Amino acid sequence: MRVVIAEDAGLLREGLTTMLTDRGHEVCAAVADGDALIAAVARHQPDVAVVDIRMPPTHTDEGLRAAVALRRDHPGTGVLVFSQYIETRYAARLLEGNASGVGYLLKDRVADVAEFADALERVATGGTALDPEVVSQLLGASRRSSGLASLTARERDVLSLMAEGRSNAGIAAALVVTGGAVEKHVASIFAKLRLPPSEGDNRRVLAVLRYLGS
Amino acid sequence: MLGDNEVMRTTAGELAGAALRAPFTRRARRELGFCLAGAVPAVAGFFLVVALLFAGTALTATLAGAFPGLLVLVLMLRLARRLGGLHRRLAGRLLGRPFAAPPPFVAARGLLRRLDARLRDGAGWRAVAYTALKLPLALLELYAASFWVSGAINVACPLWWRVFSPSQIVTPLPAGSFGVHNTAGAFAAFLVGSATLLAAPWLTRAVTTADGWLIRGLLGPAQLAQRVAELETSRSLAVDEAAAALRKVERDLHDGAQVRLAALALGLGMAKEKLGDDGKPLDIGQAARVRELVDAAHRSAKDALVELRDLARGIHPPVLDAGLADALATLAAQSIIPVGLTVDLAGRPTPAIETIAYFCAAELLANAAKHSGANRVIMELAQHGESFLMRVTDDGIGGADPTRGSGLPGLVQRVRTVDGRLTLDSPPGGPTVITVELPLRA
Repeated sequence: MRVVIAEDAGLLREGLTTMLTDRGHEVCAAVADGDALIAAVARHQPDVAVVDIRMPPTHTDEGLRAAVALRRDHPGTGVLVFSQYIETRYAARLLEGNASGVGYLLKDRVADVAEFADALERVATGGTALDPEVVSQLLGASRRSSGLASLTARERDVLSLMAEGRSNAGIAAALVVTGGAVEKHVASIFAKLRLPPSEGDNRRVLAVLRYLGS
Repeated sequence: MLGDNEVMRTTAGELAGAALRAPFTRRARRELGFCLAGAVPAVAGFFLVVALLFAGTALTATLAGAFPGLLVLVLMLRLARRLGGLHRRLAGRLLGRPFAAPPPFVAARGLLRRLDARLRDGAGWRAVAYTALKLPLALLELYAASFWVSGAINVACPLWWRVFSPSQIVTPLPAGSFGVHNTAGAFAAFLVGSATLLAAPWLTRAVTTADGWLIRGLLGPAQLAQRVAELETSRSLAVDEAAAALRKVERDLHDGAQVRLAALALGLGMAKEKLGDDGKPLDIGQAARVRELVDAAHRSAKDALVELRDLARGIHPPVLDAGLADALATLAAQSIIPVGLTVDLAGRPTPAIETIAYFCAAELLANAAKHSGANRVIMELAQHGESFLMRVTDDGIGGADPTRGSGLPGLVQRVRTVDGRLTLDSPPGGPTVITVELPLRA
């Protein structure tokens, strides 16, 4: 996997570079602001870019803006945005009707190295990786909608993992249940939320998010 | 020991001295200048404003002319405001005392609302009242000024009466004219002139004082409005300050401790992975790599601790809990330049004030250490009624600029949020004296 990193804190930039190199990935460039990120992606055409949201010069959302631009101009490059806070609005801007090859994680997630690397690989291959925090915020925001209230606790767990971008097998592993049980839950969720059943992880995520965000 | 008589004699002597000196003081000259300077605008302004007032009122009374009439009144109000500004500035310049201006007119949107707001402009109407009262006052001021002129001419009578003989001297007093035909007459004129000159400064002072009251009352901000304006300013300063302080804390956390902890977590995560989870022994290379990772994480943890401690101290220095005197003593002890500290406060100021005083002291000491090149700093706190003064003096090179950098302007703002004041006296070559005045209670 070829990776470009954009993170303004040198300490973390170096840490990520070491970690990814250690795991056999190639870090083509590690930069500290949005413009340099866009230039590096244009030059190296990496599989995935890891992007911090707050970077110089304004320290607000330049990373996010660069990520949106990358998704528009370089659809072949996955974008994993990571930040110290999760903002639902940022997630909405990032997804914008297309959940393939995109991720949004809390910075804390780098602590679980293997999971972070998995998420990155998922994004690099066109998958999705949303932080559980994004999902729980969205769930919280749409608690008032009647469909969610009818879900069982187990179904909620499954829905959260689905929104994070996991496959049925991944969900089964996380919840320590059989694949068949997960399939039953998923079918039940789709029925209760009146979502059209569909193939492929991303469309599932998209369907869930569209429901949650509405 | 002085007897009562002696005391009285001394007092009487002092009074006589003051009376004799009065015509020659700077203050008397300033007041005379003020009496003369305001006359022309007072008279011209009076007739203009009165003419516009009558024209506007008359027009408004007719049905067809109502709108133009109101416009004329608006014109009058604007003119009166301008005239008021002129008189206020004249008074400020010539009397050497500041007279506060009323708040500027706030225009509303839309023609009718604008007109309505103009006509309700309280400061404008008060300026009209001043213009009306100023005419008689200006005449009194000219009358008072005439004491100076006639006094000066008559004192010199012994020098010129022969040249213009037969001559007549004029005084501002009723029936105060008489002919001078001989030396005795000239001497009488000298005496009258001296008396007039001695009386003149008191007369100009009286009318100037009366005018000062009028200017303050009619051309200044309404008293309550003034206080409200001050409080609005200090409140918005306080709100901005608090928001900026919180934003700074967030930024410091985000760029500092949070990054260190994330890097630390990443490093430990990598180390944990390297160790494996089944207790398999590591080869030497792997062990060295793990040690390296743990070492870096350990450093990160220590750095994060330092950053968090500094940040916490920046929010609220724990030493302040023991009181301002102890906190300042700690600051003084930590200072690079020796600090002589005296604190003379009867009680403790409220916590917000103590915090502001502490941060002012910290910033001022840091500034002195960084920029002044001083060998010694003296810091004194003394109570004055409901407020206290903190004076920081250093023997450095001086030339401190209150508008440069972020330190001093930040302090000025911070002090203003609680109605305090920071004054700076720092001539090139030193010494620098910075005085912070704070209320005991915020």
